[in-house]
Amino acid sequence: MIRCEHLTKIYAGVPAVDDLNLEIPAGEIFGLLGPNGAGKSTTILMLIGLIQPTSGTCSIDGVEVSTHPIEVKKNIGYMPEDVGFYANMTARENLEYSAKLYGMDATARGKRVADLLSLVGLDGVEKEVGGYSKGMRQRLGLAKALINEPRIVILDEPTANLDPRGVADYRRIVREVADAGATVLVSSHILSEVSRVCTTVGILARGKLVAHGSLDRLVHEGGGGQVTIRVETKHPMPEISHPAIVSSEYSEGRTTARIVADTDIRDLIADTVGSAGIRGLEREYPGIEDIFLSYYREEECA
Amino acid sequence: MRSEGLKIIAAKEFNDHLRSRKFHLIFGIILVVAIIGLIAGAVDYQQEIADYNDDQSTVSGDDPVMPGSWQKPSILSAFSEMATLMTSVGVILGIAMGFDLITREKESKSLKLLLSHPIYRDEVINGKALGGVAAIALSIGIVLVISFAVLLIFGIVPNLEETVRILLFGVLSFLLIFSFFAIALFISAVAKDSGSAIIYTLIIMIVLSSLLPIFAEGSVYTAIFGDSPDPPEDGIRMIGRADPGAAGADTAASSGRSTWNQEVSEEWQEYQEASQAYWQQRQAVGNVIGLLSPTENYETLVSAVTTANTYAVRMAPGSRTVATPAATADDAAEGGLSALSGLLGDLAKNIAALIITPALFFGLAWVRFMREDVR
Repeated sequence: MIRCEHLTKIYAGVPAVDDLNLEIPAGEIFGLLGPNGAGKSTTILMLIGLIQPTSGTCSIDGVEVSTHPIEVKKNIGYMPEDVGFYANMTARENLEYSAKLYGMDATARGKRVADLLSLVGLDGVEKEVGGYSKGMRQRLGLAKALINEPRIVILDEPTANLDPRGVADYRRIVREVADAGATVLVSSHILSEVSRVCTTVGILARGKLVAHGSLDRLVHEGGGGQVTIRVETKHPMPEISHPAIVSSEYSEGRTTARIVADTDIRDLIADTVGSAGIRGLEREYPGIEDIFLSYYREEECA
Repeated sequence: MRSEGLKIIAAKEFNDHLRSRKFHLIFGIILVVAIIGLIAGAVDYQQEIADYNDDQSTVSGDDPVMPGSWQKPSILSAFSEMATLMTSVGVILGIAMGFDLITREKESKSLKLLLSHPIYRDEVINGKALGGVAAIALSIGIVLVISFAVLLIFGIVPNLEETVRILLFGVLSFLLIFSFFAIALFISAVAKDSGSAIIYTLIIMIVLSSLLPIFAEGSVYTAIFGDSPDPPEDGIRMIGRADPGAAGADTAASSGRSTWNQEVSEEWQEYQEASQAYWQQRQAVGNVIGLLSPTENYETLVSAVTTANTYAVRMAPGSRTVATPAATADDAAEGGLSALSGLLGDLAKNIAALIITPALFFGLAWVRFMREDVR
């Protein structure tokens, strides 16, 4: 389990992470969403002990990071954004070096490295990492993050440079890791990607966690409390008017309308356009992009 | 596990140095120049030995004429010349090995990944230093082994004292290269990128190797603090006239001569005191400044270590040792190791400075690296 309590990091008077309270239960795939500069990477770096918080604490499985960094790191697998390896070494040599630093013996090391290279599709690639594409480095980064069979896997922008096949492999691997009992924290600004793999998300804006919960809950609560209703009729529909309506768009010869209202007025709409022959009357749920933007706008306004 | 991480990182850094093209290039230059220099030195030495033997055969054992004028030639002179190689290419080797040790990790983003492992930060910086030290030690070791091999090929077998002196030359060369390696490592810890790091390191190298010695030599000192005091006009003449048998003003004063004579004597005395104070201050400042330069300390020490037939030729900054030619070649041989140890005792300040410099810069690099946020 990952827990942050009042976690704050201030650079030159500007808070990069501001009083962050977060709890990610074991076995969950958690998506940390936010635009560039929202504080995602800073939060992650504090979680793995590379940055000291200005105040507050974070702990992994009950062990506080700032006081027991080595113990914490033993159980974490981390892949940074722009993952960097030693360019003069092969993928195998890089992973071997990493495995040595985790204290693995030669036999376990050899097997684990071979398994992981196969898992990420880099087995048989013997050239130095300096000659790798960004996508190949990203695959190697995923392998490195799993080298110590971690209980916590932290992936910072993991699909940024992957091709479609790489993305599919990544999703499969992340699900397998979570199925095996590990907690996975995925940081990303690619919202569709997060929605494909994560069970829970948190939205960071200007260093603050502005939303946190299951994707379903955020989808229902998202959109700033407004309801979008889509209406289709057989014949042109009459004008729909109600004080709750914020905006309305008619199209296709007034046989289709998109109504945004403060409350769910589907009953009223049914009564109003019933004579035009209702073919469809549905509430539209906002996409994750809309949810994110709405939370982000709220924070900006605040 | 703490020492395990250190060993793993040090081994990797050591291998990286040995696989590095810049290391191959610079160390290759050192080897080639050293071998050529030694071959030339060995040929010269053989000629000098032949001349020496000829000279010895022409002088009978009880010939009283200038018994100390035939000093046996020493192969150590070849190593003395190799010091120039170390202060130029050797220094560059140290800088090339250290200037991007940290910045390269930052630029390639591998530092973040490295520090995410269950290792302490000090293991990283200590491991990097240890790997560099091992590579420098290996380089010096190879130079020494090849040097001995070249000497043996030419049929030159160094005696015990010469062997010790050659090994000391190796140790001093190691300390010199390590000094600049540590300076470069420190700059690498504080610089934003490798480009800046190499520029800053070269500036420091120029200051320590060229500017400080110039300052220590006195020309800059003179420009800042002025010339030595001028003697009073006719001062010497007046004292000489007052009392031909005495050299000081006190003598003149006690003899109760005229007031005019007394005043001149005081001027001269004041001049002597001011002059003495000026030169003592200048010597002290020069000594201290000289100690700040690893290159200056190295040259002083190597000059002493590789000058076998005299107990010291060079007056080292702060040294009490005065140039003292050995009475005979036998005396020099008998002086041997005990003379060497006495000489090193006199140069303890230089030795300490050559050890403290890398320790100081490594300490600064360590503190900087330990306190840095990795973003």
